[in-house]
Amino acid sequence: MVVNSLAFLWFFLLVLVIYYLCQTKKEVQNIFLLVCSYWFYAQIDWDMTALLAILTLVFWLMGRGISKAIEQEKEKRASLLTTLSVIVGIGALFYFKYLDFFIGSFVKAANVIGLHLSWTALHLVVPVGLSFFTFKLMSYTLDIYHGKIDHEKNVMNFANFIAFFPTILSGPIDRPKPFLKQLSQSRLFNPDNLMLGFRRVLWGMFMKMCIADRLDLYISAVWNNFEHHSATSIVFASLLYPFQMYADFSGYSEMAIGVSLMLGFKVAENFKRPFFTINISQYWSRWHMSLTSWLTDYVFMPLNIKLRDWGTNGTIAAIMLNMTFIGMWHGADWTFFLFGIYHGLWYIPLMVSGQFFKKTKIQVNSHGWPTAPFVWKMVGNYLVVTFGLMLFHSNNISEFWAVLCRIPEAWNGSLFIDMPTMVNAAICSVALIYVDIQEEWFVKKRIYLPTFAEKWRWELTIAVEILAILLFGIFDSNQFIYFQF
Amino acid sequence: MKKLLIHIAIVICLFFVFDRTLGLGLKFLYSRSNATDEYKISYSNESTEAPLLFFGSSRCLHHYAPAIFEKELGIECYNTADWGIKNIYYHYGLLGNILSRYTPKTIVFEIHPCDWLKTPFSGKERASSLAPYCGMSDACDEMLKQSGKYWPYQLSWTYRYSGSLPNLLTGKLGSMDRSLKGWKPMSGVLDTIGVKAEEYPFPVDQERVALLERFIDDCQQRGIQLIFVESPMYVCSKEDVCKFPRELAAKHYVRFIDHYRDTDFVGHAEYFYDFGHLNKEGAEKYSAKMAKELKNIIGSPAQ
Repeated sequence: MVVNSLAFLWFFLLVLVIYYLCQTKKEVQNIFLLVCSYWFYAQIDWDMTALLAILTLVFWLMGRGISKAIEQEKEKRASLLTTLSVIVGIGALFYFKYLDFFIGSFVKAANVIGLHLSWTALHLVVPVGLSFFTFKLMSYTLDIYHGKIDHEKNVMNFANFIAFFPTILSGPIDRPKPFLKQLSQSRLFNPDNLMLGFRRVLWGMFMKMCIADRLDLYISAVWNNFEHHSATSIVFASLLYPFQMYADFSGYSEMAIGVSLMLGFKVAENFKRPFFTINISQYWSRWHMSLTSWLTDYVFMPLNIKLRDWGTNGTIAAIMLNMTFIGMWHGADWTFFLFGIYHGLWYIPLMVSGQFFKKTKIQVNSHGWPTAPFVWKMVGNYLVVTFGLMLFHSNNISEFWAVLCRIPEAWNGSLFIDMPTMVNAAICSVALIYVDIQEEWFVKKRIYLPTFAEKWRWELTIAVEILAILLFGIFDSNQFIYFQF
Repeated sequence: MKKLLIHIAIVICLFFVFDRTLGLGLKFLYSRSNATDEYKISYSNESTEAPLLFFGSSRCLHHYAPAIFEKELGIECYNTADWGIKNIYYHYGLLGNILSRYTPKTIVFEIHPCDWLKTPFSGKERASSLAPYCGMSDACDEMLKQSGKYWPYQLSWTYRYSGSLPNLLTGKLGSMDRSLKGWKPMSGVLDTIGVKAEEYPFPVDQERVALLERFIDDCQQRGIQLIFVESPMYVCSKEDVCKFPRELAAKHYVRFIDHYRDTDFVGHAEYFYDFGHLNKEGAEKYSAKMAKELKNIIGSPAQ
């Protein structure tokens, strides 16, 4: 059941009605929400629903143990339990997602040096949303250990935090403190939340169905047959890919945030116009923000503190490790490893020049537009991101290399044009770019729609946006790119 | 709560008014479009009254040049085929729309494995290309219902034209030479490196077979001479691809012309654009050959 499907619409409408019918009893509302979340998850991955429940229970019990140990001032026990929880979380991720890759790579390397080892790949099915909910699970025990939160006494509330259906598939990766606090309060029917949430859902649908899925038609046609396409087409498709990724994942995040808001929950934001940045550090502070902030808090900061005696080199080492984690989080392949390393390397000049710690603000002219040097820096940064995403898009290193080799080989070919697809995508992309420019430099708040619509009644805005989705959207597309992670 | 319900009612009313207005505008543009897909579908459904029609997917679209048939047979012909791995769900809906207007004398149906096999890449959704003709005939509506889009198309007239606005507005993107009468010749010669036969390792789909039989019945009830054809491929499948259509044709007394392994074409890269589609030169040669055969067949009963 995809979030932008008709099946989800019916499911959500029913949930919404019953949810607010029992709004006076918070406990009933929470039980209902939990049942819905597990039903939703079971619809998508029935086999792994038990795993989700077991991991939830195990982490809740460990959280309780850590909390008790802290209360009884048994530091070693608390530390041991926290370490154990991280091992369980990482272990689940490693077993389902990385076991085949690491052992397979080890066996290959061993065979190269003459040790004749063999390994039959397990081809395990990765539970849907595993990378997202294990991070939520680990942040819970880590936050208890670090004294940021208290142990959640109600196991049902904790299960709701982990399995919350709008965000379980692809995030945003929420933190326990703000979410559990919201669960402990009644969520009463609020027309403003409902309206704002609905607008965000619509905007997300527009980004996903009218831009990402349209662009995918072109990009897939070129990338899946790159050996038959000219260099111009490959470069053009590669340049479009970051924008497609943005529309796809940011579109999904908008929908997840909107649905959560309609249920009365404020969840973490995930994107903040990432292409209006002038270096890779700024880019990562605005792209998949819930993941990067998680890794900053739980990986980079502790590592940076541990390695502080090494000075700048220590920070560089911490960044490289952090970026490698970001890369590998996306999947078990050397392409993702190199994706992480590639981004990490771009941090080194920033570190050496001291720009990493500076908050460089983009200068604007008297009309409010960014000045030319900054525009060029943004273009340069987009190109850096594009090259990284070429690695990300490739199924393996050989494919990436073959694509790179194809570019000089086929430099004289003409550009492949799929006019209807490109015109449809271009019309909708202009709307998205316009909104992003407005939000970044002029209005400075989230508007979700072109500002001219703000002058009209919101009813008109919504009616027009639904029509735009019906007219430009693709309704038979594949799932969201980030579902695979 | 009351206020919210009023707002929702306003949204629904506004949507309804805008949707109907825009839908009518798009319908107007659609029926007057020159753009390839839209013009082709529109002319096939709404206008053609040719006594000889060609039905099928992309192989039919590129292989049958109506002008050559018209010259040989002395009757008007039109190629109704559309690209995009169209299958029996689309063909049956189109037949329904055409029969709601007039009865052609002969239909030449370039049959494809997607018309009887459970192919995952070409299913019921293919009928949704008939969305602008929702309500034109029972057969069309039935196919749209099977595609799962009938009610959304009823609800929104705009949705029927999803994705086609740029084509409709300009009307010129990929404009079609009307004198070709639905034929789309392909230029270029097949690059034979790595060309393999297309295999169809899929089970027979009884639902599609039943629709094929209804297609035959509808034609026979209206006195239309139906002819199944399998045109040549550059590389042939190891399996006997024509076995099923041959048996189906024999069962229903429909003529079946098998050119799948025609040695005049098979292995001749100069006649092909890609492994399964003839180029302009190949299509003209094939059409001339088929036209001569049809001259002897049209009007005579199946053996």
